[in-house]
Amino acid sequence: MIELSGIGRDYEVGGRPVHALSAIDLVIPEGDYLSIMGPSGSGKSTLLHVLGCLDRPTSGSYRLDGREVANFSEDERTRLRRDGIGFVFQSYHLVPRLTAAGNVELPLIFAGVGRGERARRVRAALEAVGLSDRADHGAEQLSGGERQRVAIARAVVMGPKLLLADEPTGNLDTATGLEIVRLLERLNEGGLTLVVVTHDPAIGRRARHRIRLVDGRIAEEAAEAPGRAAGGSA
Amino acid sequence: MSGRDLLRFCGGALRGHRLRSSLSLAGVAIGVASVVLLTALGEGARRYVTREFASLGSNLLIVVRGKTETTGVAGLVAGAPHDLTIEDAEALVRQVRSLRRLAPLAYGSATARAGERRRDVDVVGTTAEFAIVRRLEMRSGGYLPSRETDRNPRVCVIGPTVARELFGAENPLGRALRLGDDRFRIVGVLAPRGASLGMDLDDTVHVPVGRALKMFNQKSLFRLFVEARSHEEISGLRARVTSILRARHGGEEDFTVLTQDSVLATFGRILSLLTIALTAIAAISLTVAGIGIMNVMLVSVSERTREIGLLKAVGVSARQVVAVFLVESAILATAGGVAGVAGAWALTRIAAAAWPSFPLEPPLWAVLGAVSVALAVGLSFGALPARRAARLDPVAALQGGKRT
Repeated sequence: MIELSGIGRDYEVGGRPVHALSAIDLVIPEGDYLSIMGPSGSGKSTLLHVLGCLDRPTSGSYRLDGREVANFSEDERTRLRRDGIGFVFQSYHLVPRLTAAGNVELPLIFAGVGRGERARRVRAALEAVGLSDRADHGAEQLSGGERQRVAIARAVVMGPKLLLADEPTGNLDTATGLEIVRLLERLNEGGLTLVVVTHDPAIGRRARHRIRLVDGRIAEEAAEAPGRAAGGSA
Repeated sequence: MSGRDLLRFCGGALRGHRLRSSLSLAGVAIGVASVVLLTALGEGARRYVTREFASLGSNLLIVVRGKTETTGVAGLVAGAPHDLTIEDAEALVRQVRSLRRLAPLAYGSATARAGERRRDVDVVGTTAEFAIVRRLEMRSGGYLPSRETDRNPRVCVIGPTVARELFGAENPLGRALRLGDDRFRIVGVLAPRGASLGMDLDDTVHVPVGRALKMFNQKSLFRLFVEARSHEEISGLRARVTSILRARHGGEEDFTVLTQDSVLATFGRILSLLTIALTAIAAISLTVAGIGIMNVMLVSVSERTREIGLLKAVGVSARQVVAVFLVESAILATAGGVAGVAGAWALTRIAAAAWPSFPLEPPLWAVLGAVSVALAVGLSFGALPARRAARLDPVAALQGGKRT
């Protein structure tokens, strides 16, 4: 359960303050499927980064499962990201020198998970994204869709409760993009809270819970009762 | 995370940019190799000199002209000292009971001619005792005659280099050799010995001391070697020699009596300084290598900004990021250090084969010191890039450095 109230994020750009986010009030229940839409520069990614504890709000309150995390220390936020939050990015962010399995293994290595347990979890995560046969391929030998699946496997390998996707289909063709979205939705159906930032209305519409940001403020919010099948208009 | 996983991850990162890694590794290797080689050189010189002096025997006094500090290496003359003459030498032989033997030494250079061939050689004027004092061995024939039997016969002994250059494969014994205007009969050829105490004995011609002084139109000897009956009598002998020579020189102590210990101590000090100086020079190259590592790591940090951002996003702590980059520079430094030691070892083997008489062995302290300094350099020069990596803002890093 995520509760944002009065979240603001200001930058200084060239000495002038920029309000990337202002007065965001948002509740994301556990298991929710939220899409964040809006024109570029509207603060979509910033909101996602704040949700993912990569960025710190300059004002307001961020309660994650009842804990106020807005003023968590850097170490606490790091642990939170490690154990509770998975990220998927538009440009995949795979480490090019590693294999698919090596990329998925990365969070486990730094979390100190033992060798045998790592191998087991990497295998399971790759299987879940349908890439078992590509485990030993170098990251650069994979197609865009395959890379994004590796990234998704990496995002869920630590067993997070929250999955944040920043334009996950932005670099993919429509068909492949849809496959990726369906994969994310399947994970959501398994109980993972899913937040997708997108500027593609066809993708954004699929979410049960949708917000639209304009100039760092929530301009529209729509929610449907959970359990309704995601629209299949694409 | 376990150390092994960390090493594996860092090793993979270094292999990712192989050329850059190996170049900075080579920088460290050169630095370490130069420390090891230059200290080996300094140490080798010290051991070489020690060994050469030991070959003189420890019962020896050396009298040279001029007054210097008693522990100094003599030769610098203050004022105009009296000559150190043959008569001085003979007086010592007559008057000093604890003296076992004495070898006077006159020294100069001349052109040696045999038939059509000529060669510039160093000429040593001395007596039969010199061969014993300096432990000279003969390849053929005998050494110079004793002074008692025949004062200044026209005979000479030549070194093996002289024999080869002037006579080739022929036997030089009994042949004539012209030195300047004098004609000498060759009575002996020295066994090869190599350079020793700054004099290549292989390339010398030895003649009776009186002949040499006449040839160079000198009165003064170059030095006297005085041998005591035992090591215990050295200091007594030294006092006797000093008082007799002072009396003969009109009460002036215008000569220096060196014991081997004092000469050795002086050389030891000079050569230790030399070793330190060489090490300091080599240390500079290690510092340069450290800057090389820092440069490579800085490039690596800026090139891998996105990777660092990703690591932070998946929950890698700042401490772990620091560890990754520190371990990478430590790997570079250690591998460079090991490569440097191996390279230096190979070079000393080659040098040992080429110059067997020079004991070129890197001291253990230098090897261990160089490798640990390399590691320390790697860690300290890696610290700045590592801290820079750890401080990157994750959002900015994910976007490749700038915040949009």
